[in-house]
Amino acid sequence: MRKNPVWLWAAALAAYAFLYLPLLIVVLYSFNDSRLNAEWVGFTLHWYTELINDTNMLVAARNSLLIAVAASLAATVLGTLAGLAIYRYKLRILPILAVTPVAMPEILLGVSLLLFFNLVFRPWLGLELGMWSVIVAHITFCIGFVTIVVRVSLLGMDESIFEAARDLGATPWQTFRLVTFPLILPAVMAGALMSFALSLDDFVITFFTAGVGVSTLPLQIYSMIKIAVTPEVNAVSTLLMLLTLGMIVLASRIHGKAIQSTGV
Amino acid sequence: MRFLALLLLWVSPALHAADVLHLYNWNNYISDATVARFEHECRCKLVQDYYSDNEEMLAKLAAGAAGYDLIVPTGNAVESLIKSRQLRPLDKRLLPNLKNIAPAYLDTGFDPGNRYSVPYAYTITLIGYNAEKLRELNLPTDTWAVILEPKYLAKLKGRVTVLDSQRELMAAALKYLGYSANDTDEAHWRRARDLIIRAKPYWAAFNASSYIKELTVGNIWLAHGYSSDMFQAQQDARQAGRPFTIAYSTPKEGAVLALDSMVIHKSGPRPDLAHQFINFMLEGRNSAELTNLIGSGNPNRAALNYIDPAIAANQAVFPSPDILRRLEMLRDLDRTQRRVLSRTWTEIKVR
Repeated sequence: MRKNPVWLWAAALAAYAFLYLPLLIVVLYSFNDSRLNAEWVGFTLHWYTELINDTNMLVAARNSLLIAVAASLAATVLGTLAGLAIYRYKLRILPILAVTPVAMPEILLGVSLLLFFNLVFRPWLGLELGMWSVIVAHITFCIGFVTIVVRVSLLGMDESIFEAARDLGATPWQTFRLVTFPLILPAVMAGALMSFALSLDDFVITFFTAGVGVSTLPLQIYSMIKIAVTPEVNAVSTLLMLLTLGMIVLASRIHGKAIQSTGV
Repeated sequence: MRFLALLLLWVSPALHAADVLHLYNWNNYISDATVARFEHECRCKLVQDYYSDNEEMLAKLAAGAAGYDLIVPTGNAVESLIKSRQLRPLDKRLLPNLKNIAPAYLDTGFDPGNRYSVPYAYTITLIGYNAEKLRELNLPTDTWAVILEPKYLAKLKGRVTVLDSQRELMAAALKYLGYSANDTDEAHWRRARDLIIRAKPYWAAFNASSYIKELTVGNIWLAHGYSSDMFQAQQDARQAGRPFTIAYSTPKEGAVLALDSMVIHKSGPRPDLAHQFINFMLEGRNSAELTNLIGSGNPNRAALNYIDPAIAANQAVFPSPDILRRLEMLRDLDRTQRRVLSRTWTEIKVR
C-alpha cells in the first residue's frame, strides 16, 4: 500500500479539529465553576446537579428525544418507500415533490403546517395541537431527506442484480428482503440518523407547531437567551452528545458496514 | 411491549390534566416559590411555555395557535393583541388587589383604562458601569452625556457599548437633547443622529446580546442596556469574585420604560383561573419574589416590604417620583416614520 502523504494527514487532522474543537469547548465549560462561559475557573459538577433538578429542562429533553425517535422512525419507513417508488416509476414529478419540503424555507413550512393543523385537525378531528403535531411536522420535513439518500443509492446500483434475483425465482418480496434492502441499508441508516439529528435540533417548525405545554430542548434553550445562557445548557448538550455518540456506536456494532459505508 | 409501556409512562404527565392554567411567558419570569404557592392555593397546575421575543409570540398567535390562558407581552404588543381582538376584557370584580399597583403604571397609552391588561413588571433602559473604573476616571454616572459626549468618552475609548436598537439608541439621544423619547420631529431626529455619529468613534460596538458578559469580565466599562441585564451582570460579577462591582443608574434626563403586562387570551379555556392568577400575582409578596429573582422593576406598592433592601434602594427598581416622571414608554411608529428612522439608522451605521 502506498504511504499517505503528510499533507493529507494534516488536512484530515484540520478537518476533525474543525468539527470537534467547538464541541470540546462546550463539554469543557460544562465543568467550569463559573456561570460566565468566559474563562476557566475550576472544576465542578454543579451544573449537572442543577440540571438534574431542573424539571423544565429535563421534560424538554425527554420531549425532544421522544419526538426525534418517533419522527425519524416514521420518516425512515415512509422515505425509503418513497425512494423505492421514485426509482421504480420513473415519473418526473415524484422526485420534485419529494424534494420540495427539503428546499422550502422552514418558516414557510412551519406557518403552513400550523394553519393546516388548525384548519383540518381541530375542527374535523377535535384534535388540539400537542406533541403529535410536532411529530407529524418533523416527519414531513424528514421524509424528503431519507428519500433523496435512498434514491441516490439506488441510482448507483446495477439494475441487473434485481433482474437476476427475479430470474432465479425470487418473489418480489424476497427480492426486496434479500437483495434490495441489504444493498440500500447503509442509505436507510444514513437517512434515519440524519432525520434524528434534524428533528432533535429543529427550532422554527417546532416553535410553530408545538401545542400548549409542549417544549423541546431548542425551544427551551432559545427562550433562555433573554436571561443569558448558563453552563447548564452546556451540561445538557454534553449529555445529548454522549447519547448520540452512544447511538452511533451501537448502530455500528449492529451493522458495522452500514455505518462505515455512509461515512458516519 | 415493555417499550410501549415505558413510552406511555413517559407521555402520561400530559394526559391527566384536570385543572391546568397555561401561561405563555418569558423564561425565568416567575419564581419557583411563587409557582408552588399558586398551585397549592388554586389546587391546579401551572404550565408555562416560553417565548424570547414579542414578535415571536405575536406571530405564533396570529397563525392560530390556541390554548394559552395568560400571556405577558410588553407595551405595544398588548396594543397589537387588543387591535386584533385576541384578548378577553378583564373582570375587575375578580381583581381586588389591583389597588396595589401604583397609578403611574395604570391607564397607559397602549391600553387606556386597563380594560385588558394588568402591569406585571418592567425594565428601564439605562447605563450600567464598572463602578471602580468610572470613579477612578472621575466620570459622571447619572447622565446620558457619558455615552454621548466626546469629552467624557475620550477617557473610555473602546470600552463602551450601546444597544443595537434604532428606537432605544435614538431615545437615549433624544432624551439627552431634552426631547421626548417618542418625538418624531425630523429636525430633532437629525440632531440626535449627529450626536450619535459624533460619539460613535469612541464606542467599541453596537451590542444587544453579550454586554452582560463583557461588563462582568471587565472588557467593557460602560454599557447602554436594560436594567434587568445590569442586575444580572452585577450578580455575576459578585459571584465570580471580581475585583470590581457593576452598578447601574437611570440618567437624570429620563429614559425608556418597558412595561410587561398580564393579559387573558380568548383561546384560553380557563379565564377563571387566569383571573385568580392575576389577582394572586398582584399580592405584594408574590410580585416581590420576581424582583428578588431578576431585579425587575416593580409597579406594585405592596411589594416593597418583601423586597431585598439592597434591591429596593435601587432607583432602577423603584424610581423616585422625580425620575419616574421622566420615564417614557415607547409608542409604535407609523410606516413613514419607520422609514425615516431606518434611513437615519443607516446613515449612522455607515459612518
